[in-house]
Amino acid sequence: MARMPFLNIDRAGIERWSRDVFRLLVGFMYFQFGLLKFFPDLSPAEMIAEYTLGQLSGFALETRTALTLLATLECAIGVGLMTCLFPRLIFFLLNFHIIGTFMPLFLLPEFCFKFFPFAPTFEGQYIIKNLPLFAAAWILIFPIAFPLREEDNQAVSPGND
Amino acid sequence: MKQTWKQTAIIVFLLLFALQTWMTYQQYKGSGLSRVPESRHGAGGFISSAHASVGNPSPVGSLKPVQVSGENLPMYRTTDELRLYPAVEKGLRTPFDLWRYYGKGKTTFGTPVLPMRFDQWIEFHQKQKPELMKDVRAYMNSRFNFSGAVIPGQMMSGGRKAVMAGPVARLPAEVESYESLAGLTAEEIRRRDLFPYKPLAHPIQTTAHMLFPDSWTAVHPEHKRIDVDMDFPDAYLPEFPPPLFLTTHKELGDISGGQEISFDNYYEIFDGLITPEQMEGLKELLRPSPTTWFNQTQHRLTSQPSDGVACLDCHVNGHTNGAIELGPDSRPNMARLRVDTPTLRGNFNLMQLSSKRSIRSLDHFAEIEEYFDGDPGMQQAIGPRAVKREVSNRMADFNAIIDYPPAPKLSPMMRLIPSMATEQELRGEKLFHGKAQCSACHYGPAFVDDYMHDLKVERFYVGRPEGPIKTFPLRGIRDSPPYLHDGRAPTLHDAVEFFNLVLELQLSRSEKDDLVAFLLCL
Repeated sequence: MARMPFLNIDRAGIERWSRDVFRLLVGFMYFQFGLLKFFPDLSPAEMIAEYTLGQLSGFALETRTALTLLATLECAIGVGLMTCLFPRLIFFLLNFHIIGTFMPLFLLPEFCFKFFPFAPTFEGQYIIKNLPLFAAAWILIFPIAFPLREEDNQAVSPGND
Repeated sequence: MKQTWKQTAIIVFLLLFALQTWMTYQQYKGSGLSRVPESRHGAGGFISSAHASVGNPSPVGSLKPVQVSGENLPMYRTTDELRLYPAVEKGLRTPFDLWRYYGKGKTTFGTPVLPMRFDQWIEFHQKQKPELMKDVRAYMNSRFNFSGAVIPGQMMSGGRKAVMAGPVARLPAEVESYESLAGLTAEEIRRRDLFPYKPLAHPIQTTAHMLFPDSWTAVHPEHKRIDVDMDFPDAYLPEFPPPLFLTTHKELGDISGGQEISFDNYYEIFDGLITPEQMEGLKELLRPSPTTWFNQTQHRLTSQPSDGVACLDCHVNGHTNGAIELGPDSRPNMARLRVDTPTLRGNFNLMQLSSKRSIRSLDHFAEIEEYFDGDPGMQQAIGPRAVKREVSNRMADFNAIIDYPPAPKLSPMMRLIPSMATEQELRGEKLFHGKAQCSACHYGPAFVDDYMHDLKVERFYVGRPEGPIKTFPLRGIRDSPPYLHDGRAPTLHDAVEFFNLVLELQLSRSEKDDLVAFLLCL
């Protein structure tokens, strides 16, 4: 059992604890940002999200309805990340969601970049910051959604081939 | 077990957090930061009713909520049925059914700043416009059947364009005819969403502003916009150029001689016919001024810098070319009603001008005509209009001699001369002054009462009430399609169908035809 010499604390315990806190915080961020979208005029991403969803639906979907669907999706991901409920479904939703969040970069580049691609606007930054968030969510939910099985351990163990 | 406890704790925490967010939202609504008006009434299903305040006078702020019932629902609307305006930025397209929305703007004041670089602005609209126009055409086609049918033998006053036949507003598939629709109550039409004359919005209301018809932009490419084109087919708009008649020279008939009066030819045409003051006024009416979106700055909707727009660019030859704008009387911009360009003919007789602003004189009208969408602050950036009062007075001097086209079948008392009228026209006149109730508001030399009326059309559809709108004169009405302030009635037949529904007149098919025949005589 590795111990930190100067604090005499269980290192594996800290890693596990940090990972749990990290998962709770990332999940909470998804939940809160999603929650804001339920309330008209509360989310700073409202315009960009509404317009992107409008474009994706050929402006057939009423913007408020579209935003409510997105809010539901984000809250579900957030709750899933925090509680570890339905991890595979959450993993699927997470990937689906991230593709959507990057759509404005391609559909509304004029609103996302002062100069493409190196000078994003505030909205552009808001979207690009989803990338590390997405990576973090992957790291956190993937092992829960697809835990390593006994045969996988054997497959990856040295000298197995 | 431990895991379940943790999950339960997390879910309870999130629910409490959501509850707190909702409570914060109630405080946020109606604050200076919010575009959601503060809710001044109780829970859903209740409204603050003018009805209650009229019947039972009570201090401001303590209006009693009235339960919405079958009895008062058609008369009183609540925002519960409306949607909040979408969050948009300049240049982004807006829903075509904006009349179903409500809300506050970020601010009353405009700014000459684009949300992106100008080259991006151009690029953005190059991408957006084709898709937008495709949807605009599809929407207009869903509202109207622009078949191109004309009323046989009926031309506009210049003799260059036929008067279009209608009605062209499409009825819902489940409705057999306009007559069967008129047999339903307002409440039923509203509940089943059957009303064919809902308002029209500007095709892109974040930029909005003057939108010229194709016939105009064909000869004035400087007014071709990068973001949107006119949504009405030319055939359903006034003739271009229209004739110009002067009250002071009736003997000359059409003064324009079929030309568009411009800076290049006005002096030659009018020298020796009008007074020096009228001439100066006409010159000013023809002088372009920079406007919100037609100007020399980068806050524009033309690919090249523009000199702007002159009064007679929309009111061509003192009439109208069918260009549209938004009424400047309200905010946010998405709440502004689409308005067709009204004719200047006969303005000398009007005691009120503009659809909703109740402007009381031609001088005032010339002085404040909204080149900056009712936002004087924009002038600092875009360019000075700076019309001094003596100049605006002279603009009004010319405005005051623009006459209606001749109406040879009308007597001095504005009744049909029997020997000159057909049986059908005479029947139409009788209806006009009788069963159809037209003359209740349309009377006198210009067939107008100079009042604003609230037709309460929202009884027939779910939408934001439009409030009182000025009665439009009917003299020379054949020359001014489309009808109503926003053009939702493209033909005279549509205008008659509209009033037949809204005033619940129960006119027969032949009576409506008779009425149109009479209107063509005015």
